Amino acid sequence: MSRPAPRRGALRRALGQMAQDPWLQLTAISSLSVALAIVGAYLTLCFNLQDAARRLSTGASLMLVLKDEVSPARGRALALGLAARPQVESARYLSRAQALERFRRQLGPHAGLLEGLGKNPLPQSVELLLRPAAPLEPLMAELKNLEPVQEVVTSRPWLHRLEEAVGVMREIAGALGLLLFVGVVFLVSNTVRLAVYVRRQQLEVMELVGASTGYMRRPFLWEAVIQALVASGLASLLVAGIFRVLGSPAALPLGLDLGRLLRMPPQVPLVLGAVALAAGLLGGFLGVGRALKTRGW
Amino acid sequence: MVHLNRVSKHYPGRAGPVLREVSLQVPRGQFLYLTGPSGAGKTTIMRLLLGAELPTRGRVRVGGKDLGRLGPRGLARFRRRVGFVFQDFKLVEGLSVFENVALSLRVAGVKGPRLVERVEQVLKQVGLERASGERIDNLSGGEQQRVAIARAMAADPPLILADEPTGNLDPQNAREVMRLLRSAHARGATVILATHDPALLGLVPGARVVRLAGGRLEEER
Repeated sequence: MSRPAPRRGALRRALGQMAQDPWLQLTAISSLSVALAIVGAYLTLCFNLQDAARRLSTGASLMLVLKDEVSPARGRALALGLAARPQVESARYLSRAQALERFRRQLGPHAGLLEGLGKNPLPQSVELLLRPAAPLEPLMAELKNLEPVQEVVTSRPWLHRLEEAVGVMREIAGALGLLLFVGVVFLVSNTVRLAVYVRRQQLEVMELVGASTGYMRRPFLWEAVIQALVASGLASLLVAGIFRVLGSPAALPLGLDLGRLLRMPPQVPLVLGAVALAAGLLGGFLGVGRALKTRGW
Repeated sequence: MVHLNRVSKHYPGRAGPVLREVSLQVPRGQFLYLTGPSGAGKTTIMRLLLGAELPTRGRVRVGGKDLGRLGPRGLARFRRRVGFVFQDFKLVEGLSVFENVALSLRVAGVKGPRLVERVEQVLKQVGLERASGERIDNLSGGEQQRVAIARAMAADPPLILADEPTGNLDPQNAREVMRLLRSAHARGATVILATHDPALLGLVPGARVVRLAGGRLEEER
């Protein structure tokens, strides 16, 4: 009675190979995890930066400082009128008390500094949130001439500089991302070459019994892909852990929320997995190709 | 079956060619001893016959195929029809006896019950049916060479190349290896056996002997 033959497809052969060299796997997966964690941290910073820039640019605003003698009812009526304009996303009247209360919240644990104030120094105002493409200069000129308005303050020039800086950073980020990807491919490729070197005796025998290059190559490709995917999972956990620690200090002054800037977006593990898959296939293909080509028996 | 036509082989950095215009024809079903002192070029001829090397000049044809014209795929397909036995066994350490023998069948696409049946059959022929699950590293030299012969016979190839197959074995194991090669020959395989050991020459009645010396071949009997 014959016993059933164990199936030896390329994936099975790859898993068999991997089980034979646990230390080699550990080394390969550790180094890949670190490399992918760097990519992951970089991606997280890029996502956060872009998100912050988007939030800031959609929040382009004008503040109309109102004269002291303007009544709150008139201020609210002014806000209502301005909100109906096509360039304006929203308009809100802010009384002096409300302005002080907001400032107090922004100061957080340092709000005690305000205790010494005898009288509220903040003015009443109307805050306008503009639509992204709204022309600023003519609107400012018009609003300055309104009777209840004492002064118009804008955040646009500062935002414009920020947008320019983010644009430049995006280009640098693209180039740096490509460089990191090439680095990961190189690492995978060298790991595969090491695996081929460790199994050179087996490959020599396989070649002698008539194994095709594809037959010999496939398990190494599987191995590279499996290593890269496991490493991407570990790298995601590592990055999430690091950013969790970095983003969890107690409330910062002026209401800054570091946790919002340093959280790992859900896209990062997916992108890391895709990068790992691509790097595993490309690096595996290049590594085993180079190793098989240079090997002689 | 095998046709060497004025084959010369020269290795860079070595004074003089290893083979000088060697011509040899081996008909199907013949048992051929390739003898000569160490360094005479026996292994070079075996490597040429496996397509592991190309001649500097001349042509090597095996089973009607010009090995110099085969690409990587053609060469892989060709090797599936050639059994080989080397002095250093060329087995995969870490794999079982069964897996080592099965390797030559798997690369040829044989699988399932057919593969198991054939592996068990050849292991029985070499007397290792009980060692099927053993790791190669746990076997003696003689047993390892029997595994190599089982692997060479597994795909039932029309040509078996044996390069000093008894070189690392004691006389008793050497006789056993020769018995197995003789039985493969009796089943119809062409066998080319390279050896420098004259004691092996009388073990296959009717075998042809050629001697390699100074890069040239001479017919002995």
